[in-house]
Amino acid sequence: MTLPQAALVPLVARAPADVVFRAPGRIFTAADLLSEAHRLAQTLPDASHVVNLCHDRWRFTTVLAATALRGQTCLLTSDVSPEQLRALADRFGSICSVADDPAVASPLRHLHLDLAAPGGRPGAEPNPELPTDRLVAIVFTSGSTGEPVGSRKTWGELAARSAAAASRFGLLPGAPASIVGTVPPRHMYGFETTILLPLHAPACSWCGPSFYPSDIRAALASVPAPRVLVTTPLQLRALLRADIHLPPLAQIISATAPLDAATALAAERRWETQVWEIFGATELGSIASRRTATDADWITYDGVRMAPGDAGGAVVTAPLAEPGALSDVVEVLDPARFRLVGRADDVVKLGGRRASLSGLNRILTGIAGVADGVFLAPEDLDERPTARLQAFVVAPERSAEEILADLRGRIDAVFLPRRVVRIDALPRNEIGKLPRQALRAMLAPDADET
Amino acid sequence: MTYKPNDPEPLTGQQPLEQEVARLLVEVLQLDVDAESIVPEEPLFNKGLGLDSIDALELALAISRSYGFELKSDDERNGQIFASLRSLARHIEIHRTR
Repeated sequence: MTLPQAALVPLVARAPADVVFRAPGRIFTAADLLSEAHRLAQTLPDASHVVNLCHDRWRFTTVLAATALRGQTCLLTSDVSPEQLRALADRFGSICSVADDPAVASPLRHLHLDLAAPGGRPGAEPNPELPTDRLVAIVFTSGSTGEPVGSRKTWGELAARSAAAASRFGLLPGAPASIVGTVPPRHMYGFETTILLPLHAPACSWCGPSFYPSDIRAALASVPAPRVLVTTPLQLRALLRADIHLPPLAQIISATAPLDAATALAAERRWETQVWEIFGATELGSIASRRTATDADWITYDGVRMAPGDAGGAVVTAPLAEPGALSDVVEVLDPARFRLVGRADDVVKLGGRRASLSGLNRILTGIAGVADGVFLAPEDLDERPTARLQAFVVAPERSAEEILADLRGRIDAVFLPRRVVRIDALPRNEIGKLPRQALRAMLAPDADET
Repeated sequence: MTYKPNDPEPLTGQQPLEQEVARLLVEVLQLDVDAESIVPEEPLFNKGLGLDSIDALELALAISRSYGFELKSDDERNGQIFASLRSLARHIEIHRTR
C-alpha cells in the first residue's frame, strides 16, 4: 500500500463513524475528531507554533488536528522544562503552549484544555485535504552537541509512512486494530504509532492508563481484538516479570531501545503472539522492522530505501520525505535490507529519551566550580532497568549534592547521574581525550560494591 | 498534620514498615544510599532520592511481589503515593494482602 504522489491528503482518512480513539467508558469517532478539531481551531491562540503538551492521546490529537487545520505547526518535545520552552520561544518567536494537565507550568502564552470535551455535532464539519508539504510538526531531540534539534515533519511524509506501517503490520480495513500504546505521544515512535496510525489506517488507539503491567492488562481487556501492544523493551520485560495473564494479543511492537531475541521469544511464547521491533529515529521516523525472535536483518518499510553513507552510516530516502542520514552504524545488504552493527557512540537512551553524552558533559563542565567532568553510561544501560548514568567530576570546592542540585532542571531527570563521584583528575591522555578503556576502568570498582 | 494529644512525639524517624520499604527501595533500585538514611517525609522522585518513572515501574513489580497487590495508574494520584517513603508505606499498609 503506497500513497500516490498526490498533492493533497485528507486530515482524517477514515469513515465518519470509524472509532479512532477509545478511552475508559468512551469512544471517539472520526466525526468526533473533526468536530472537536474545528471547534478547537477557533480557540487556539494566534501563534504560528504551538507546543503540544497534552498527555491524553485524544486531547493531543485534537490539538494536532486543530493546528493542522489552522496552518500552525505543533512542536513536540520530551523535555518540558521551562528552560526548554523558553529556548523554543527564542527560536520561533510566535509561540504558545497547550496542555490538558492543570499542573503544567508553562512560561509561554498558555491554553489549558479540560479533558471533558463539550459535545459537538459530529459529522457536520468538513474533512479538508491538506497539502502534502504542510509542515504540521517539529519533533525535538537532543543533538550531538546537546542543544535541541528539531525534525520537520510534513503531512505528506507522515501520512505516507503511516500507510507503510499499516501495510507492514497487516492492519486491515475489515478488522481495525486496537492499539494500546505505552509510549508518550510526543515521542516520535509514540506519535507515529498511537496518534497518526488511527488517522490514516484501520486502527483505534487507547487513551487510558497504560504504565503499570496492571494498567496494560486492563487496557487490553477493554478493547476489541485484534489487539496490538505498542511498547518498549523496558515495559515488555516488566510485563514478563509481572507474570500476568493478558487477553489474546495479535502482536506486540517494540522500539526506543534494542530488544534482545530472548525477551522477544519469551514474550511470543507467553502470550502466543508475534513480537515485532521497529527501527527508527526522530529525524527519520520509523523506517524498518523485524521479527526479533527469528530475524537478524531489518526490512525497510515499503518505499523506504537505504544506501551506504558516511562513517558506516546510511542515507535513507522515503516517499514525500527529505533524504536523511542515519547515524547508527549499519551494513546495507540491499536497498531494502540492513543489519545494525552498532549504535552511535555518543548517544544514550533512557526511558525512551535520548541524550548526547558530549552535550551532557558540556552542561556538567559548565557548572560553577566544576573544573572537569564526564558522564559515563554502564555497558548494560539497555538491559538493566536500574542502570543510570554516573558522573565523575573534578570539583575540589563543591559537594556531590551541590553539583546534582545544579544539574537538576538543566537536564532531563532520567539522565541525572545516580552517583556523582568526586575525583582528583580525569584520566585524560596526552591529547586531552578520555580513552574508552580508562573510562571503563573508572566504572569497574562499582561492580564490586554492589 | 495533627497529632493526638497523647502521642508522645510527631513521627520523624522511620517506623517499622517504613524501614522495611526503605530497604526494599535500596535493594530493588540499587541505590547508593543507606536505607536508614532515607528521611520518611522527603520526596522520593525528582528531588530527594531522585527517582524517575523507570524506577516507578521497577518498584511496582517489587511491591506486587512483596506485598501481594498491584499498583495502578488510576489509584488516587500516583504522585501522592510516591510522594515520600511515608506515603508509600501508608499505601502499602492499606492495600497489602501479605
